[in-house]
Amino acid sequence: MASDRIFGLVALFAALAYIASATQIQTSFLADPVGPKAFPILIGSVAALCALVMIVRPDPDPEWPARRTFIALFVAVVVLVAYAYSLKPFGFIIPTAITAAVLSYQISSRVVAAALSGAGLSVGLFLLFKYALGLGLVPLPHMSEPPAAVAPAEIGAED
Amino acid sequence: MDTLANLALGFSIALSPYTLMLAVIGCFLGTIIGALPGLGPSNGVAILIPLTFSLGLDATSALVLMTAVYYGAMYGGRISSILLNIPGDEPALMTTLDGYPMARQGRAGDALVLSGVASFVGAFLATIGLMLLAPLLARVAYFFGPAEYFALYLLAFCTLGGMASNNQAKAAMASCLGLAIAMVGVDNNSGMPRLTGGNMHLMDGIDFLVAIVGLFAIAEVFFFIESHGKDSSIGIKLDRVTIPWKDIGKSKWTMLRSSVVGFFAGVLPGAGASLGSFLAYMSEKSIAGPKGGFGTGVPQGIAAPEAGNNSAAGGALVPMLTLGVPGSGTTAVLLALLMTLNITPGPTLFTDRPEVVWGLIASLLIANFVLLLMNVPMVKIFVKVLTVPAWVLLPGVTMISFVGIYSLSGSYFDLLLMVAFGVLGYVLRKLDIPTVPVILGILLGGHMEDALRRAMVISDGDIFYLLSSPISIGLWIAAVAGFVAPMFLRGLLKKPQRITD
Amino acid sequence: MTSRLFRALITGAVISTGAAGAVSAAECIAPANPGGGWDFTCRQIGKIMFDIGAVDQPVQVTNMAGAGGGVAYNHVVAERGSDEDLIVAASSATTTRLAQNAYAGMTADQVRFVGAIGADPGVIVVANDSPYQSLGDLVEAIKADPGSVAFAGGSAVGGFDHLKPLMILQRAGFTDITKVKYIGVDGGADAITQTVGGFTQAMTGDMSEVVGFLDSGEVRAIAVLTEERVPGFEDIPTAREQGFDVVAVNWRGLYIPKDVSDETFDAWSDKLQQVADSEEWHEAMAANGLAPFTMVGADFQSYVDTLVDEINTLSKEIGVIQ
Repeated sequence: MASDRIFGLVALFAALAYIASATQIQTSFLADPVGPKAFPILIGSVAALCALVMIVRPDPDPEWPARRTFIALFVAVVVLVAYAYSLKPFGFIIPTAITAAVLSYQISSRVVAAALSGAGLSVGLFLLFKYALGLGLVPLPHMSEPPAAVAPAEIGAED
Repeated sequence: MDTLANLALGFSIALSPYTLMLAVIGCFLGTIIGALPGLGPSNGVAILIPLTFSLGLDATSALVLMTAVYYGAMYGGRISSILLNIPGDEPALMTTLDGYPMARQGRAGDALVLSGVASFVGAFLATIGLMLLAPLLARVAYFFGPAEYFALYLLAFCTLGGMASNNQAKAAMASCLGLAIAMVGVDNNSGMPRLTGGNMHLMDGIDFLVAIVGLFAIAEVFFFIESHGKDSSIGIKLDRVTIPWKDIGKSKWTMLRSSVVGFFAGVLPGAGASLGSFLAYMSEKSIAGPKGGFGTGVPQGIAAPEAGNNSAAGGALVPMLTLGVPGSGTTAVLLALLMTLNITPGPTLFTDRPEVVWGLIASLLIANFVLLLMNVPMVKIFVKVLTVPAWVLLPGVTMISFVGIYSLSGSYFDLLLMVAFGVLGYVLRKLDIPTVPVILGILLGGHMEDALRRAMVISDGDIFYLLSSPISIGLWIAAVAGFVAPMFLRGLLKKPQRITD
Repeated sequence: MTSRLFRALITGAVISTGAAGAVSAAECIAPANPGGGWDFTCRQIGKIMFDIGAVDQPVQVTNMAGAGGGVAYNHVVAERGSDEDLIVAASSATTTRLAQNAYAGMTADQVRFVGAIGADPGVIVVANDSPYQSLGDLVEAIKADPGSVAFAGGSAVGGFDHLKPLMILQRAGFTDITKVKYIGVDGGADAITQTVGGFTQAMTGDMSEVVGFLDSGEVRAIAVLTEERVPGFEDIPTAREQGFDVVAVNWRGLYIPKDVSDETFDAWSDKLQQVADSEEWHEAMAANGLAPFTMVGADFQSYVDTLVDEINTLSKEIGVIQ
């Protein structure tokens, strides 16, 4: 009960904030009949409505993990965020080994296995991406090679 | 007779031991790229385009290699969907719904073979369709203006009600979330940024690949940390891999119908493979009715999206070749390849450069057969993935996701977003809020709004313009029916189905 | 046995790409997704430079989409300012956005423009069965009832494709430009589809986007926005000869980072000139509807400066920017 209500409440505020920021959208002087604000406001309103339904008619609570697991999950998020920041300055191999080892330990709780899988994954994946798929990864810091970027799958015609 | 002569011309160009070898290599690389989360068909083709230059391939060989990669990636996307509940790319999204439950029953091998066959049927029929109908179908695009596209997207969202979990509000909430995310970025109609908070990285919006990989792959890792790998498909004892003739027989009509649905979705430049697999799945689900057991691992639920998305991929080649309009990200990349080879697709391509068109069609057929022959034996290797212990596999999937997403733009920002989506995915799934509508919202929301606003520009804000053609009226009727029907059907359901995992 | 053979083949292929990615190879950034004009520029120029031996390793193409080229521009200015091996595809869209301050405050003098080696002439086309026979007809119809004509184009509102009809109408003395209907769709081919389908009445775009449709007779070009008629398309009248003095070509070229040596700048100019003179480039231009337009080195830099000023003034006059 409580989980759905809390989520509903959070979602309600998020939806209201979304509507509020949608009203701030700059309109170009070349406004079309619908304008850039209408759709976001509509979506925000429907979302707010759904949130209200969730508050009024919540489902039974799911099974939430124990506090220890929550701490583990929090650690995982922190490690992943740190990994995101460290890829560029520290290259691929070292941050990958550390992150993979931490995640592996969190799943298996075995130190040696985790360390091995971290080391193995970082080197193995580096070889796979670098040599089998030709992505220009930077293995270690201070190499001038740029990262290869490939395209997101969307159609660009702005040029 | 003409068609056969042309096809013979195509095979005479495309079929040689050398190109056959290229097709095998391309299919193999494509399958791997498709299976890796975050690297979809379009990235795969884009990554490998330089390969054609460094190998010094001529135009035909380059085409054979790239179409093999393209089809290979379309096939490959399903593998991680089925084995790990992580779609390898966006068209494989719907395959998670029944593929993963089947794998959890220890039938991963069956699911992979069945989906391989469905992929083949879809791709094969689409290629035949392309061959026979392309010049004719090119005209279909002329009948779809903004009003018609708006009705088409509306249809997709209305049928979402049919896939909702036991709580309609939650499914609607999930699609709103996706739609809200789709609004972020530069607004095409005014040229002004919206809801970006002044962040340059958000100017182009949030890439749906970031959302898919976050909501599925990263969230999956969190679930493993919570459960230490219990209650998943990993480590489940597998039966010997055999060909599940019974399942294939049971879903033969599903495959045929889904191929047709997918093909037409692919032919429409604004729709693409994801919509193809979605519409195929939803229409099969409603044909099967509540007793069909969709979402619990039924063969039809695997065959429908795979036949749908592969035939949509083939269908998408129709507007690409005949109009030069790329219907999907991947066809945009293939278009780039053609243009580099000094081939400009357009209405005259079929008459001016028949050798290119028919060579391409022949290479599609070759790639298709190679994939079918390769995939059935390779299933034995794929299912081995499940014998890899979770403490190696899941960190591995995470790292692959990071590299895949990092390669999109080379910025840490997308990676942070992906982690955020992972957390969101964990919470949503805990609360039994389906994540598939979120992705659909992101994929289609922007298009839907654009279509509406273009229609309003053209008609000076006349709302009835949306109903001004027979096609749009038909789509509106289907949409309304699709929205209302599940409400009645739900009354017939004794026990609501869970669909998210 | 066979699997080993394939493994060997793949390894071979991979080693060659690996070599292409080596440190000394030049990199060309296409600031958009594959399939667009910038991607074409990078891939063609890169390929030809390698083929004619201007560079000794294949040019590695990187797609860096985002903010209409803004992400790549920012990347070059902020992180690659002195990279001697970097070239970036550019076009009129680059200068248009710089002129409209659409790159978050970055300016045209933060990079060096090496040159342009081809131009895509702007065109206005209508469906074959359209009642409008000339640009004059179209302009008159808009003057009489601005709601009667909707344009479709491949760029967003305020972009280069949108500016073309606005410039024409401005020259024709029509000032109420907020009344002009324009929808920005996903590329020129899509814009044509909408026009042939009768959803919009005219399409504004580049010559390369309409060539195939002209050949098949589904559309008619009523004006080309060049000074002279385009070779190979002599039957299409220019806007200028119809009394609307508008020239708008979408040039295709390159820029490089600002802090490279003058020798590097000259070396790239020279390589670009070699590409422009090559047989391969002439074939590529012919196949893709590009008109010859070669300007490299210092000349081009000053051309770009003038262009940015002009578009800035024009955008202010029209009201696209404040």
